[in-house]
Amino acid sequence: MNEKTSSRKKIFYILLFIATVVVVFILGLLAASIFERRGESIARLEPIKEIAEWEPRNEIWGENYPRQYESYRKTLDTGFRSKYAGSATIDYLEDYPDLVVLWAGYLFSRDFKQGRGHAYAIRDLRQTLRTGGVEFSPQPGTCWSCKSTDVPRLIQSMGAEAFYKSKWSDLGDQVVNPIGCQDCHDPKTMDLRITRPALIEALERQGKKISSITHQEMRSLVCAQCHVEYYFKGPDKYLTFPWDKGFSADSMESYYNEIGFKDWEHKLSKAPMLKAQHPDFELYMTGIHAKRGVSCADCHMPYKIEGGVKYTDHHIQSPLNNIANSCQVCHRQSETQLLKDVYERQDRVAEIRKIAEYSLRKAHLEAELAWKNGATEDEMKPILELLRSAQWRWDWVAAANSVGFHSPVEALRVLGTAIERSEKARGLLNVVFTKRGVSLPVSLPDVGTKLIAQKYIGLDLEKILQDKLNFLQKVVPEWDKKAKSRQGTLQEY
Amino acid sequence: MTREIEIKNSIFKIAFVILLGIAVGLALVILRVSNAVSYLSDDPVACVNCHIMTPQYATWFHSSHREWATCNDCHVPHNNIVRKYWFKANDGFRHASIFTLRLDPQVIQIKDDGKTVVQENCIRCHINQVNYVSSSYVTGRNFKQGKGNLCWDCHRNVPHGTVHSQASTPYARAPRLGPIIPDWMNINKNINK
Repeated sequence: MNEKTSSRKKIFYILLFIATVVVVFILGLLAASIFERRGESIARLEPIKEIAEWEPRNEIWGENYPRQYESYRKTLDTGFRSKYAGSATIDYLEDYPDLVVLWAGYLFSRDFKQGRGHAYAIRDLRQTLRTGGVEFSPQPGTCWSCKSTDVPRLIQSMGAEAFYKSKWSDLGDQVVNPIGCQDCHDPKTMDLRITRPALIEALERQGKKISSITHQEMRSLVCAQCHVEYYFKGPDKYLTFPWDKGFSADSMESYYNEIGFKDWEHKLSKAPMLKAQHPDFELYMTGIHAKRGVSCADCHMPYKIEGGVKYTDHHIQSPLNNIANSCQVCHRQSETQLLKDVYERQDRVAEIRKIAEYSLRKAHLEAELAWKNGATEDEMKPILELLRSAQWRWDWVAAANSVGFHSPVEALRVLGTAIERSEKARGLLNVVFTKRGVSLPVSLPDVGTKLIAQKYIGLDLEKILQDKLNFLQKVVPEWDKKAKSRQGTLQEY
Repeated sequence: MTREIEIKNSIFKIAFVILLGIAVGLALVILRVSNAVSYLSDDPVACVNCHIMTPQYATWFHSSHREWATCNDCHVPHNNIVRKYWFKANDGFRHASIFTLRLDPQVIQIKDDGKTVVQENCIRCHINQVNYVSSSYVTGRNFKQGKGNLCWDCHRNVPHGTVHSQASTPYARAPRLGPIIPDWMNINKNINK
């Protein structure tokens, strides 16, 4: 082999190498171009199916908004337990048997559980013993108000008054889709909107213009349609928020006192009681996060980026299950540190709440004993008023979600006044006992567990449960059948 | 016989050269697609190649630091060139892996090594504004051992603001990567005109 051929071969190899590099490089660029164009087609093809004005079915909305809908479906997850709450069912009467005594004569003494996620709203309401069964069905239509996307539709067609006035069980086949899209969104623009008249009416009575509400305020107000204190006004059970004098426990109490409202008469103490519902929004309004302009959604539904698309995480849940994406957006501390900070506050509130509960339980039982020993109406009146006030204040914190974290300082102040009033009542009760020669300390019945306590206040749980079972087995399937034939589809959540 | 061996040899050689060409060609494509060469520079635009850090870019772009400091002025070490590129390579490898595997968190947190570097760089530039004695205590190393604070424990929103999340600046106008295909290859360019 001579030198000429070998150097020619060398040049050939070098040229071949360069040619291959160039061809592969250009092919690669072409491939990249194809990928780019594919991206364009994805970005362009986003078909929007029109959503009817009062469409209650979340899965229909979900066809247009898969990210939001898929994350909403995660509210079905019951796997998260924090120290005090979470997304799992917790039987509060089991954990805090004092509550049975505190609510004697009221349906809450039968059953009170930590609710699960929004998607369970219908199922949970059907199952709770508070909505009764076949024989005993005590609730008005108002009771559905916060549970379903069917409510705006029904209020639209029936009118709010007729909706509230109806019987709960008469609307069973109409209200089947759990809390979802329709409750907070306008189907045309997807803007946030308030669908519940009670909130609009309450804000208007306060002199607030609905049209001047900002988007950031709406990110809390859509939650405040339901996560608030309310009562059923008059014989027509008109859903009303007691906010005319303000949001605080004190101003709501004075509102109730002025109109002479009571939720029920306590079975043991005969006190004219108030039941706080879940003043989450009101408690939050007194806290530091609200003052700094942080909305409910900022912590409970933080923004998310997925493939360059920004959207709101619709897995509405405890931020404690999502510290990295909620708290840490603003707070620089580690997850462990932040969790510790939350628990530190909750521990303190829980400790004081427990003291209030203990005091209230004793006070009710002592009042019962005082009646038995012949106490007069005049003697008891100031005691019962103190009890009403004390329990309202305890409940205002206890019934609110977050174990006081929405506003720890205010929660502790309100619990402090609850203990003060309850202990004052017990002081007056001791005077009654002394006058009647009852030796102190009085002996009180043991109500240490849920079962014993329920028996003591005269509940026939077996009968109640049987009635519920009948209802779930016979009535509920009928409702679902009717609903399905009316809507065409019925998604099971 | 020798001729046969020669032909066989040259087929192997040709195949080898083509394979080598493919490998190098593909490597070049990846370099171009990922805009990899830009990472050797100090240009902040390189830091938003992958759009994940757009909020960081946007907040810096609206801060007074924009006038004096690039991303690298604060976020890579400057005491010697070996450490600088070693740090850059490490960070770059981690960022590239996380981006490719889609493991990026919604809220990006600075790592401890990064903290040390940023703290060094605060003092590097601001040495005339801080007290020698007290600033000697404000170091990333001290902080790691649980002693002392970092500059931004107090200067909390310098320069990236208070709200940290990939979603925190949705309307920011950050530079975007140009098209991968060069202009001469774009057939549509004339049609679009």
